[in-house]
Amino acid sequence: MEYILKNGIVYDPTNKIDGEKKDVLFKDGKIVDSVSNDAKVIDVTDKLVMAAGVDPHSHIAGPKLVVGRLYRPEDSRRGIVPKKGVTRAETGFSVPSCPATGYRYSRMGYGTVVEAAMPPLEAKHTHEEINAIPNIDVAPLPLFGNNWFILEYAKENKIDDLAAFISYWLRLVKGYGIKLVNPCGGEAWGWGMNVHGLDDPAPYFDVTSREVITALSKANEKLGLPHSIHLHPNDLGHPGNSRTTIESMKLIKDIAKNSAVRDQTVHMTHIQYHSYGGTNWRDFVSNAPDVADFINKNDYVTCDVGQITLDETTTMTADGPMEFDLHQLNGLKWANKDIELETASGIVPFIYSGRNSVHSVQWAIGLEMFLLINNPWQVFLTTDSPNAGPFIRYPRVISWLMSNKRRTEMIENREVHKAVEKKSALATIDREYDFNEIATISRSAPARAYGFTDRGHLGIGAKADIAVYNIKPNEIDPSLEYEAIEKHFGLAAYTIKDGEVLVKDGEVVKVVPSHTIWTNVKGLESQENAVIDSIMPAFNKYYTIKFENYKVHDNYIPNPIEVKVKAGQAAK
Amino acid sequence: MKIITFNQKKTSTIGLEFDELIPDEIFQWEEKDFQKYEIPIGNSRFPLKDYFDVDVVGSAESPSDVKIILNGDLTRIKYIGTKMSTGEIVANSSVDLHCGSEMSGGEITVNGNAESYAGREMTGGILTIKGNTREFCGASYIGDWRGMSGGTIMIHGSAGKQLGECLTGGEIYVKGNCDILAGIHMTKGFIQIDGDVTRWPGGQMQGGNIIINGKLSRLLEGFVDPEIITNPEIEGKQITGKYIKYVGDIARNGKGNLYLDADKNRNFL
Amino acid sequence: MVYEEPITDYDYKVENCTCAFCGCNCDDLVYLVKGGEVKGELKDGVVVSGYVDGGHVVGCRHACRLGASKVMEDMDQRLLVPMIRDEKGNLVETDWDTALDKAAQLIAHAVRPVFYGWSETSIETMHYGLELGELVGAVLDNQATICHGPSLQAVQNAGYPVMTLGETKNRADMVVYTGNNAMNSHPRHLARYSTFPRGYFRKRGRFDRTLVTMDPRYTDTAKMSDIWVGFEQNGDYEFYNAMRAVLRGKKLEKDIISGIPKEDIEDLVESMKQAQFGALFFGLGLTHTLSKQRNIDIAINLIQDLNKFTKWNLIPMRGHFNVNGFNIFMALEQGFPYGVDFARGYPRYMNGETNTIDLLTREEPDVFMVIAADPGAHFPSGANRHLANIPVIQIDIHWGPSTELADIVLPGSFIAVEAAGTSYRMDGVPIYMKKAVSKPKNTRDDEWIVNELLKRVQKIKGIKPEVASK
Repeated sequence: MEYILKNGIVYDPTNKIDGEKKDVLFKDGKIVDSVSNDAKVIDVTDKLVMAAGVDPHSHIAGPKLVVGRLYRPEDSRRGIVPKKGVTRAETGFSVPSCPATGYRYSRMGYGTVVEAAMPPLEAKHTHEEINAIPNIDVAPLPLFGNNWFILEYAKENKIDDLAAFISYWLRLVKGYGIKLVNPCGGEAWGWGMNVHGLDDPAPYFDVTSREVITALSKANEKLGLPHSIHLHPNDLGHPGNSRTTIESMKLIKDIAKNSAVRDQTVHMTHIQYHSYGGTNWRDFVSNAPDVADFINKNDYVTCDVGQITLDETTTMTADGPMEFDLHQLNGLKWANKDIELETASGIVPFIYSGRNSVHSVQWAIGLEMFLLINNPWQVFLTTDSPNAGPFIRYPRVISWLMSNKRRTEMIENREVHKAVEKKSALATIDREYDFNEIATISRSAPARAYGFTDRGHLGIGAKADIAVYNIKPNEIDPSLEYEAIEKHFGLAAYTIKDGEVLVKDGEVVKVVPSHTIWTNVKGLESQENAVIDSIMPAFNKYYTIKFENYKVHDNYIPNPIEVKVKAGQAAK
Repeated sequence: MKIITFNQKKTSTIGLEFDELIPDEIFQWEEKDFQKYEIPIGNSRFPLKDYFDVDVVGSAESPSDVKIILNGDLTRIKYIGTKMSTGEIVANSSVDLHCGSEMSGGEITVNGNAESYAGREMTGGILTIKGNTREFCGASYIGDWRGMSGGTIMIHGSAGKQLGECLTGGEIYVKGNCDILAGIHMTKGFIQIDGDVTRWPGGQMQGGNIIINGKLSRLLEGFVDPEIITNPEIEGKQITGKYIKYVGDIARNGKGNLYLDADKNRNFL
Repeated sequence: MVYEEPITDYDYKVENCTCAFCGCNCDDLVYLVKGGEVKGELKDGVVVSGYVDGGHVVGCRHACRLGASKVMEDMDQRLLVPMIRDEKGNLVETDWDTALDKAAQLIAHAVRPVFYGWSETSIETMHYGLELGELVGAVLDNQATICHGPSLQAVQNAGYPVMTLGETKNRADMVVYTGNNAMNSHPRHLARYSTFPRGYFRKRGRFDRTLVTMDPRYTDTAKMSDIWVGFEQNGDYEFYNAMRAVLRGKKLEKDIISGIPKEDIEDLVESMKQAQFGALFFGLGLTHTLSKQRNIDIAINLIQDLNKFTKWNLIPMRGHFNVNGFNIFMALEQGFPYGVDFARGYPRYMNGETNTIDLLTREEPDVFMVIAADPGAHFPSGANRHLANIPVIQIDIHWGPSTELADIVLPGSFIAVEAAGTSYRMDGVPIYMKKAVSKPKNTRDDEWIVNELLKRVQKIKGIKPEVASK
């Protein structure tokens, strides 16, 4: 099928198109430069056109999510929508059911989401959920930061073995890149403990986070994976943790990048939670300026924000000890899930409220990060969904970024606590994002960071993943009309995925299966076999599952998008 | 005042779901509207007129002018008065599950028994049950830590298990007896039980008040610091009588109060 | 004990098979297969891919008695042909089309259909079942409704501090079984996961662990334990409440609480605090005594409290091999774990209203489909009385009490032996259970049967399959 998306105002930062009125042509799921006369015309005159959104960090599929759904029926009940037309019933607000996740992303004009934490042992489960999510492509990141084998390799600085292990494991569990969550802290949580900072060793293994991060980063670059290491550093949510955050970024400074498809060598995730000053919750302040300053001066770093949206949500992370602390703080039901030899995780419902001073300052810190990092290619739009807020709040975050008026209003009307003025610099920042910057932080830049060359932009040959919003960029003043911004970014006029119209006027009109994006590293087969032979005795002894039954079988990946990487050679 | 009377013609073993027939929704309906209305039964909708004759007398400007009277065997009528905010409903028989659940105002009178979940998550209004009620009266939705938060439930008969589970406000009065774990997980609010209580009232409670005027069979270890109090004033209500007052449930660092009638529960002293 | 000679009379071995009995899902079984022809790859007598066509499992290495007997004596009372009950009340053999068409007609025209079971079949089968349920507005429920349902309610109230079983194996120095007798119900649980195996940090296995059983009965598990706490029946809640109070520093007032001397409780709490890593496994003894879900609720709270001092986790001892799978599957697809009612076009979950037993005792269902479950054997008589009065469709592999209640019988195949599929272990670890031998000739895979029902109901309702499917 051929289409012409006619007369839209196109923002495509990758291809340096900044609000140009032009047609977007696509054929058989790809953007093309010409179509025949039979092409179907979709008139989007003067409307905002962007590539479909790319979410760099969201928790949408996996064992944590299902525990969230299973133990929060009160949350499932909040988002109920009856079945209608092509869509099935939806449930859930902060932890929506899988179909609802797909529909809701689709309605916002998103086409790709990275599932940020997949425990390898339960990777099959994650893939089952990805298959149950329609309409978006999903790239899962396996958790490697507390894996026993990796702790050993890092301790002994065996980077070659580590690289072979990673390469093999990515294929085994069909993962996309390397995720680290509170390195060494997850292992410490196996004993109910945590580590603090980069040099606090994991019990027994006697390896530090500094060593693990460095080793994994080196292995990542050795393999030349399309994404850099994806780091959730230590000390999440602790006042004064910005020092650890900056130290963690510094670790990567001298590690040379080995990939042409991305610019960074480290991606710092939900940086809002890691930019705190002070020593306790009483003297807790924003240290966003320091962290932002570091990022501004170091272009090897990208980050996503994890913006607090001031909702009742469900926090869930592989950072098990942090979740227990949170449970101690709010007393709400605590779920925990420790995975043998690999990782931990925890879940606690959380009510972020503008009346609470800490939550309000956290809200301000997120916005500060957005506004103080100069280069929008280094900061991405996320709410660390559902931790800081559900992903359906992205449009609201966009409206905050585009409207200083709205931010000031919230501070002045006391929609947020007055501590925001005392403990953060937000009130003094009047920067407003324009549509080009919004397109950058929500599509182009995340796609670049993941080495997705086929999406996140509208260049010839890219996937025809396109979002059209009922916003006329040349007429609207986002600063004043922030409500319209929020509304229309939430309900796309069109969401087009692989050349098919999935959403029209904010309604899902077509449901298609999702694709799973994974990385297949080639060229290390003999090293991999040697590594597997060497770990097999330990695997058989300490896992409770047979190696044959550990792997993710092909039937869990019905629609794969395999990213082939030649080990050690920078991809083009 | 508009009086809408439902007279039953036919019963159904599959429950009829009455959640759409609350004063807020039907205050402007005339008889012909009820003739057309199809009521959810199982996975389908069937004409209401097959099951009920509906008489409408008078007129209403607003939902608060509406009184709904239900006659017949209502033991398979679910969700009576669910989410109503005003007006009045009188059910002249025993009713099924969820009567008065999530109601925020108005008044419901049940001249019979009520099944489980009566007054679940109520935020306001008055629910009177002349007979008995079963489990989870005035409770929360499963998984929610916020149960009934306002309004009054008056039970003339006995109450089942886990009365006022996760209560966060409002008042529950039981004239009869009460089964185990009344006021479990409650954080605020007031429960008064005039009859006997089997076991463990106030398990894991963090706040609020429970008064038991009858005899209690077993008390949890988490209730401590017994003291004798005469004619206590609780939440602005003057109560007459001699009570043993406990604080608990300290198993959960609770600071709720449990009052036991001192004469009938001498064995605890 | 009678000594049994090792089985030597077999032709092929199939390794790393998963046991389809209890929630342990032991995935190290070796099936010894006699006869048949290997469809796939054979290496040194081991079938490394594919399955044995026409073979029979004559031996089952590593499995416990429960698992082995299920796998090996599989042909006993096996359902082999579709059947329909005639006017005289006898089940008569028929062909697949007739049976499926009749079942589809019943489902398509039902007002309050209930699809119950699912815990002994694969996730792949559930996909079609859910689609069918959403299409007709049915209630989907599984065995949790009569076993660990209260656990799930408690989890929803109190939280869910769990782990995978390997955490216990590698770390636990204190293992508590409460309200269950693992030695009888999950025979390999102690041996493979919790107590006996030598873990990374517990190199001496059993000797490095303290085993505690809390149970009113002196069970086989209690006999093996270092400590047996035999609290009184129905006293669970009070017992755990006292433990929590002690943990908060309270001096107990009563001398004996729920039949246990207060000193014993204090000692027990102290040793639980001193453990480096504790694991608590609870079973139906907790879920089905007086305070039901509140027993679990308070046990979970106790575990949460203990985590302030040291590390404790718990796992519910799920019964069937995929009972957890159904809960996980329903939650990921529609947000609620079991007892999900699609009657109004969206899922509703309300214990006491949308659960099978409540519906049956209220005599609401007008068509009942049971798949991979045996309500005839397990349900209360009031519920079974209603089942006798309504059309019942059974998808199963064995003749059982439910077959006597059934009006249409559709013979399925045995997951993990004759059909492959996904299951979730009690701790949520997914396992792909492989196929070892072919199924009997005239039976069909569960997946095929339910999909076939779906297609036929779609046809009756005039829906094109591609529109209906996601």
